Amino acid sequence: MSGAGVLSATDREPTDGEVVAQVLAGDAEAFGIVIRRYEAGLLRYATRMLGYPDAAADAVAEGLVRAYRHLATCRDPGRLKSWLYRIVGNRCRSHLARRSTSDLSLDDAPPIADPSDNEAATERAEQMAQVERALETLSAEKREAFLLKHVEGMSYEEMAAVTGERIPTLKMRVHRARAALLEALKEYE
Amino acid sequence: MTHIDPLLHRVLDGESPSDDLTPSQREQFAALQRAVRLLAEAPAASVAARVMAEVRRPPRSLGQRVALWLTERHAVTISVRPVWSLALAAALAAIAVIPARGPGPVLGEQEGIAQFVGRFPGAKSVEVVGSFTDWRPGAVVLRDDDQDGIWRASVVLPVGEHEYMFVVDGERWVTDPLAGRYLDDGFGRQNALLFVRPLAR
Amino acid sequence: MIAWRVVTCLLAAAPRLSAQGSFARLAGRIPPPALTAIDSILVAAHREGLPTEPLIEKAFEGGAKGVAPDRIVLAVSMSASQLRSARALLREAGESQPTDPAEVTAVAAALGRGLSPELVGELTAVLPGEPTGPALHAVADLVGHRFAEDSSVDLIVAAAQAGLRGLRFLDVAAAAVQDLQRGRSHAAALAHVRSLLPNVPPPPKPAPAAVSRARRVQPGPERP
Repeated sequence: MSGAGVLSATDREPTDGEVVAQVLAGDAEAFGIVIRRYEAGLLRYATRMLGYPDAAADAVAEGLVRAYRHLATCRDPGRLKSWLYRIVGNRCRSHLARRSTSDLSLDDAPPIADPSDNEAATERAEQMAQVERALETLSAEKREAFLLKHVEGMSYEEMAAVTGERIPTLKMRVHRARAALLEALKEYE
Repeated sequence: MTHIDPLLHRVLDGESPSDDLTPSQREQFAALQRAVRLLAEAPAASVAARVMAEVRRPPRSLGQRVALWLTERHAVTISVRPVWSLALAAALAAIAVIPARGPGPVLGEQEGIAQFVGRFPGAKSVEVVGSFTDWRPGAVVLRDDDQDGIWRASVVLPVGEHEYMFVVDGERWVTDPLAGRYLDDGFGRQNALLFVRPLAR
Repeated sequence: MIAWRVVTCLLAAAPRLSAQGSFARLAGRIPPPALTAIDSILVAAHREGLPTEPLIEKAFEGGAKGVAPDRIVLAVSMSASQLRSARALLREAGESQPTDPAEVTAVAAALGRGLSPELVGELTAVLPGEPTGPALHAVADLVGHRFAEDSSVDLIVAAAQAGLRGLRFLDVAAAAVQDLQRGRSHAAALAHVRSLLPNVPPPPKPAPAAVSRARRVQPGPERP
């Protein structure tokens, strides 16, 4: 994933707009820059939305492939990040909608603790499990709002571009998510 | 339900400084910050190779796309005039989904299929033990054919209610986290509860 | 000496248990010290007309899970109490002869998920002559996702009045839970599902590949 042809004369990192233009001009390898730039955040977001890393990897991979194939429809390449999160968010919602609550799912299950972990790692894993369980009690919309605001560090304007919701609605969701998460964390202490 | 003061919301939104928070509000703030720090840990996995493989793949020909469509399951909605419907049904029956294997077991009217799946990386064996095995181990063994740590089994069971647990490596009893419905077993644990429906409906 | 006493106890117990053919099934599957006490529980249950199969299964479960003999006895005793309570509730609800052991067992299991006993009467009144178990489990599914018990009962009663029966009640509960997970409030989810009745979607059928590779349960090897 070198994307070397995209670097400008001053060797600064290309902007998202420049990368998109390069890809649309026929340089498929330049899409590697997009992946390198946004993969970690997208995987983190999808993992927290879906709860399972393998399902999250599927959602992100499918979302990025879709983004590559429909790159020409990204109306404002300067807001590529919001566009990518929107695509992956839609894939996460599709995955969640396909899950049934009363029947067994064919998706992967949460990991079990490895007894060979040392004490500090085990304690951290337990804290993570508590937070993940608390996050799972939130509705998908509240979970998404909390993750985009606090974990992905988006402004309400960026969140509006990702979700298509109005800013007052998003603020209310984030406020309710905070209260619900604190309530759930108390139960799992 | 936990109440969060509007001042704390403003602090969390970056609209106010945190200096005026009361001690209990600071506790709530700290709890949320701890949760965010944990959630912000980036997963180790990468999908780069997988995505770039697709990006580099040459576009499929029309014939390849049709062949791919025929071998995948699809939900198809078609509106037709009634007089054509029989002919179309016959034509669609000829374009059947190709099953992965043979026809499988013949099920009675009061039998259905239960699918068990569990993630146990590093496990040597995983089985299901429950009311439908008379709580006898060894009767329903899961498989992990592709060695990805995900164990599966598909089992013919009588229609109705069943209780079960997973048993990992012959000795560790684990409640199925995906079951969604549980019952205290009377021994300090929880059995998963499963309802099997008739396959033909 | 202890082994001899155990054998003596077993021989003494055999005629009582063997009347139901249970002794042969229990021996070798549960710790010998628990056999006599469990035999007493089974005999009493049989005399009262309670189903004994769930009690035998609970004993097997304890043996398989390696539980101490006294805990197995306690669990079987509690299961018998739950069956007794379930049958009493069905009788109070107007069932003149609740002799269907499957219904008693299903109601006991559903009550074991924490529902209030009054529900049995309410649901039995709406479903005279129909099995109450699936309706109770549907309410338990909803309550497990923090729907209020009375609102959950109202929804299942509405489903029954709309003509739904049996496992379809579970589909009603599943639809409400899915609505909740899509972001609706509890009240909105209940209202939405009520508006769909009786056309609540059933769960997806297993994929053809899952059906073709399905296996029947095999008798497993005996473990020491």
